[in-house]
Amino acid sequence: MATLKIENLTKTYPNGVKALDGVSIELTNGMFGLLGPNGAGKSSLMRTLATLQEADSGTAFLDDIDIFKNPTELRKVLGYLPQEFGVYPKITAYQLLDHIAILKGITNGKERKELVNYLLQKVNLYDQRNKSVKGFSGGMKQRVGIAQALIGSPKLIIVDEPTAGLDPGERNRFHNLLADVAEDVIIILSTHIVDDVTELCSNMAIMNTGKMVYQGTPQAVISELNGKVWKKIIERSEVAEYQTNYTVISDKMVAGKPLIHVLSDTNPGAGFESVQPDLEDVFFTKINVAEATV
Amino acid sequence: MFKEFFLKELIGGLKRPMVYIFLFVMTLLVFFAVASDNVSIGGSIGNIKKNAPHVITQFTAIMSIFGLMIATAFFNNAALRDYNNNFNEIIFSTPISKADYYFGRFFGALILSTIPLLGIFLGVLLGAFLGPVFGMIEPDRVGEFYLASFTNNYLLFILPNMFFAGAITFAMANRWKSTVISFVGTLIVIIGYLISGTLLSDIDNESIAALTDVFGIRAYGIDAKYYTSIEKNTLSVGFNGLLLVNRLIWIVVGMLIILTSYFSFSFISKNKRVKKSKDKGNNESVKTILIAPTPSILFGVSTAFKQFFSFFSINFYSIIKSTTFKILFLFSAIILVSTLIGGFEYFGLQSYPVTYKMIDSIDGITGIFVIIIMVFFSGELVWRDRGCKINEVIDATPHGSFASLLAKTISLICVTSLLNIFFIIASMFYQMVNGYTNFEIGIYIQDFIYSALPTYIIWSAVLIFIQVVINSKYIGYFISIIMLFMMGIVMSIFEWQSNMLNLGSSPSFTYSDMNSFGAALAASNWFNLYWILFGVLFLAFSGLIWVRGVTFGFKNRIKSAKKHLTTNYVFGLTTIAILWIATAGFVYYNTQVLNKYRSSETVEQGQVKYEKQYKKYHGIAQPKITDAKYYIDIFPEERRLLAKSGLIVENMSDTPIDSLHYTVDDSWNMKVHIKNAKLVFEDNDAGYLIYQLDKPLAPGEKMAIVIEASFISKGFENEVRNTSVARNGTFINNFSVLPFFGYNEGYEIGDKNDRKKFDLKPKDRMPELEADCNKNCYINYLSDGASDWVNVETYISTSSDQLAVAPGSLLKEWKENDRNYYHYKTDYKAQNFFNFMSARYEVARKKWNGIDIEVYYDKSHKYNVDMMLSAIEKSLKYYTKNFGPYYHKQARIVEFPRYSTFAQAFPGTMPYSESFGFITNLEDEADNNVIDAVIAHEMAHQWWAHQVVGAKMQGATMFSESFAEYSSLMVMKNELEDDIKMKDFLKYDFNRYLRGRSGETKKELPLYKVENQTYIHYGKGSIIMYALQDYIGEKKVNNALKSFLNEFRYKKPPYPTSLDFLRHLDTQVPDSLKYLVTDWFKEITLYDYRLKEAIYTTLSNGRYGITMDIEAYKLKADTIGNETKVKLNDWVDIGVYADNDEKDLMFSKRVLFNENKMSFTFEVDSIPAKAVIDPKRLLIERVIKDNVKKLE
Repeated sequence: MATLKIENLTKTYPNGVKALDGVSIELTNGMFGLLGPNGAGKSSLMRTLATLQEADSGTAFLDDIDIFKNPTELRKVLGYLPQEFGVYPKITAYQLLDHIAILKGITNGKERKELVNYLLQKVNLYDQRNKSVKGFSGGMKQRVGIAQALIGSPKLIIVDEPTAGLDPGERNRFHNLLADVAEDVIIILSTHIVDDVTELCSNMAIMNTGKMVYQGTPQAVISELNGKVWKKIIERSEVAEYQTNYTVISDKMVAGKPLIHVLSDTNPGAGFESVQPDLEDVFFTKINVAEATV
Repeated sequence: MFKEFFLKELIGGLKRPMVYIFLFVMTLLVFFAVASDNVSIGGSIGNIKKNAPHVITQFTAIMSIFGLMIATAFFNNAALRDYNNNFNEIIFSTPISKADYYFGRFFGALILSTIPLLGIFLGVLLGAFLGPVFGMIEPDRVGEFYLASFTNNYLLFILPNMFFAGAITFAMANRWKSTVISFVGTLIVIIGYLISGTLLSDIDNESIAALTDVFGIRAYGIDAKYYTSIEKNTLSVGFNGLLLVNRLIWIVVGMLIILTSYFSFSFISKNKRVKKSKDKGNNESVKTILIAPTPSILFGVSTAFKQFFSFFSINFYSIIKSTTFKILFLFSAIILVSTLIGGFEYFGLQSYPVTYKMIDSIDGITGIFVIIIMVFFSGELVWRDRGCKINEVIDATPHGSFASLLAKTISLICVTSLLNIFFIIASMFYQMVNGYTNFEIGIYIQDFIYSALPTYIIWSAVLIFIQVVINSKYIGYFISIIMLFMMGIVMSIFEWQSNMLNLGSSPSFTYSDMNSFGAALAASNWFNLYWILFGVLFLAFSGLIWVRGVTFGFKNRIKSAKKHLTTNYVFGLTTIAILWIATAGFVYYNTQVLNKYRSSETVEQGQVKYEKQYKKYHGIAQPKITDAKYYIDIFPEERRLLAKSGLIVENMSDTPIDSLHYTVDDSWNMKVHIKNAKLVFEDNDAGYLIYQLDKPLAPGEKMAIVIEASFISKGFENEVRNTSVARNGTFINNFSVLPFFGYNEGYEIGDKNDRKKFDLKPKDRMPELEADCNKNCYINYLSDGASDWVNVETYISTSSDQLAVAPGSLLKEWKENDRNYYHYKTDYKAQNFFNFMSARYEVARKKWNGIDIEVYYDKSHKYNVDMMLSAIEKSLKYYTKNFGPYYHKQARIVEFPRYSTFAQAFPGTMPYSESFGFITNLEDEADNNVIDAVIAHEMAHQWWAHQVVGAKMQGATMFSESFAEYSSLMVMKNELEDDIKMKDFLKYDFNRYLRGRSGETKKELPLYKVENQTYIHYGKGSIIMYALQDYIGEKKVNNALKSFLNEFRYKKPPYPTSLDFLRHLDTQVPDSLKYLVTDWFKEITLYDYRLKEAIYTTLSNGRYGITMDIEAYKLKADTIGNETKVKLNDWVDIGVYADNDEKDLMFSKRVLFNENKMSFTFEVDSIPAKAVIDPKRLLIERVIKDNVKKLE
């Protein structure tokens, strides 16, 4: 059982943006979902943990590996799929995975071949293994990406927004792949798609403006909102008015009319109906409401 | 709509800074070229004004090449802007006309791209105005302005060149939509220009070279090649000649390109071609692996090596497979092939493709391509991961950055080496095809390892380092190019000469078949080691600061570097650093301590000091050498030479001499020993010594002096200064081992502007030709007053495997202490101008009338030895018959290494460079044998220079060089007996003369007053002497030469002048032709003949009547090329050729031209093909194409 312990990470970019603002978490094996809107600092955190970026202060340990002082040791047990996973032109899927396998220290040729073939089968790309990766669709590329992240029995796997741009089928396959290995390793999955977390993660955190605004299990955070979320379909012209009078968590269009969710300990009346909260409500509550109340 | 798009392109461009930056740079470059005396682009030297029309045209032509890059930028931008901004789909769906859109942008970009080049004119105007104002140049260096030279240059060069380059770029950009490919298009244009340049090596191909040059530079060059100073200063480039034809050709080609592109251009974006990959693996039976394999994971040295190798193969293949590399490879191959097809031409003859010639070609061609490849791919490789967006994945794997960077470097090295090795194989293939089977693979490989490979290693490492440190691809490129091209400039600005400061440089070496890689090799290897270690050190440092992931600022990179600084890394880094420092120390010790050298500035200051302090001694009476004994010991393997010279000197002046003055050369460690004299003055810096004699030397009295000199090589040098003492092929002359007697004018700074800078008076010109001989007639130009005719003996020794040669008969030969000793003695008095040589020679001998004919050659160069023997024999026959006896008992040709390319005549001995003659392919050559000609020339010096030598004044070299040329031509003429073939050979002399006078920086003088100007005494001398024998008869010319020789042969001073010769010539020239002596020898005369019309009619008697209408002018030129038409009354040949190739001159007669327009008629027996004026080309005309016409 591995443990990842992050304490008080801080990072400010030269342009003054605080990407990480005193982030602390402790994780063990299993899948950990990191939710947050664009610009929340998710990628900064991911890169920092993947030894690709320095933090201004704070510590991070994977078991006894000090990630910042000894990045090379961490890289030996790291699987990383960045937000944007590109590939070399004119190189086949097999060649690419083979190259990365060597970089990850799998030097025995026969074993490496076996592993690469295994992973290609696993991500269902075995038939395309001798085709140029450059010509792959986004989903196929992403599968190559996850295959490479799995090379070399990593203890820590970091995947940054992996399902963006995938069709539902691809997304499911992707989730299954992750779930397969999640028991034995720590997987950090950053995303802004709430369903990803709902479906996969036993543990999660919500990040906004560089801070952890929530950390716990999805169930716990949803239950916090039980009975507090109310919905109503209103006219478009009324949106502004409702926003001033109620704590609006979200508004989205349903059949051409805005459907708003508001947060209220008691029934606000005025035609609002109670609704069973989901993670999306939590997400918007933590993001929008927290901002408004600060 | 056209107007809108046009203006939008133009105004849009004017709103961006690029156009102004380029304009500024151009203006600045040209401004300095005009306003500074240190920069002389465009040939504004001597009498040519800084802003002469010719110079402006040169600027424009040269800047056109730079302008190409500008054109690419603008046209590429115009073609791709909408596309790159993804605006194309919007704009193409609006109802605009294709033509308006297409041509609007094109012409907008065209006008825009010519704007920066207006900087040339701006620079000229500013430079010509401000230069004199700020005292940067003398006001008299600026001439008149001609508006036409601005407008015509714009219309003839700038606009057409930008149009053509733009057409290619625009077409390629529209077709491929890739900036890289557009720049490749530019590259194609430049390469096309280079290829057409290879045609220029042979003057027969000039016109083709001129027309195929896309920039028109060479076309203008050929139109203007015979321009004199005055023409360069006044004639603006015009719409005529080859240039106009060239321009029309390329404008049409450009239009075809742009129209083709236009018709294939469409608003509808084509479906991207989907490449079908080959489905290889599908047939394989798929074995499903159910259980996840658990491969062993290892980290250690072997893993690092495998990681390196994996990186390497990925990088290497990515370069090899890239379009850019393929294109570069293809074009370099095309250039190699076109160069090789041109062969190795020399005076119309081909040289054997010996290995070093092939190596030189390879080096010449690979250079620019290797630079492009290294610069371009260093950026590509460093930025590849980031460009492909795979950097985060790779960076997060547990590999050492150094392995990755080393792999990038090594793949660069391998790719460039691959190019080089391909060239080597191609070269050997070429040798094979040409029947040359002496494949010296070892030499190819050695040269590659010694020279190319270290360069690739060093620059690959440095360029990768630059990209890593700069961390911005395009700024990295910029810095890389600056480093590559500016280092030399920086070095010269600071007057640094040490190769230790000039990144990647090492002493240059020249491979010689005789002396192999020579003395520079060891030095070069040490310097290479020094730079390679330096490169590795840089690379190791790059490995530390290489950005893994995202890092902001250099400080953070250094901070993160510390994390990667493991113990092993520190150990490796320290080891390399120590090795590098040790090497640096050793190189420094050898090149700066052991072998101190003076910077060029110190040398210059030494020259100035020498002149300022000792000029007062110029021409003081000194005793002359009458007898000399040389003791020379050569130790080739150590490159050591000891010389002791015992001289007998005599006071030949009419006053007693009380002090002896010597100028000594410190590189030869000279020591002077004089009895009964003491050293009263010694200046070691300038090397000036004065000895006071205890008792003055009375007129006619003799005394002995002994001079010791030695050359001892120690360690290795920054640049090999003395190539004349070599392991195999030592060649020195007696001036090296003797001090100069008195003040040596030859040490003075020659350059006019440098003299001004150091506040020295203009240099004395050669003494004027005088009829009444004063003291100048007592000095000949060869020995410069140190001696007249002397008797010489030489004892010379060398190593046991070498043979040493000195002038005279070999009296004795023996072995002692395992060394070879020789004793030579001259059989007749001679000029004190001797050579001493030693090498592993083979000797070929022949005897003719008691004279030993010998050729000393290297065993790999036996091809032409027999021909050389017979060439000497032929010369001896002609000269002894026509001029007089040969006074030596032997005539030797002795080969020496190709550090110089010349042949030279010492008394009875003629050193001849290995690089020409010995390797010229004469197998199929019956005529035009330049080797015979060179040997005949050197043999002729045995009479002309060694039996009679000119007084040191104007005209002196006429009867060494011009007469030697004439003699050699006569040997050839008697061999060939064909005037037309002789004409084919003489064209080189015409070219030499006319080009030479075009480049004259001071004054062109008539032949009889020549001041050692080679284009006059060789070029014009040959033409005039040859024409003279045609006009007055060979016999008569030889009579004049013979009687002149009879009067002055081996005579004591006074020495003869050219007037003495003209006196002898005068008696041989009939009165009717006396004008020739004036026109040709005493004045500068040019002719201009044109055949206006030539017709033939069949006559009733069955013969053919020819009528030729001619136009004729005769011109006299002054010293700077001002021409005046004069009345003509000249005998000129006219005739007809039987064939169109102008080989068979079936009829010719000499007629008198005394009107500007005349008509001649004559009859011939059969149908002629062409009519011609001056068929043998005896008269000096600048344009001869209009002398011949097809008969109608």
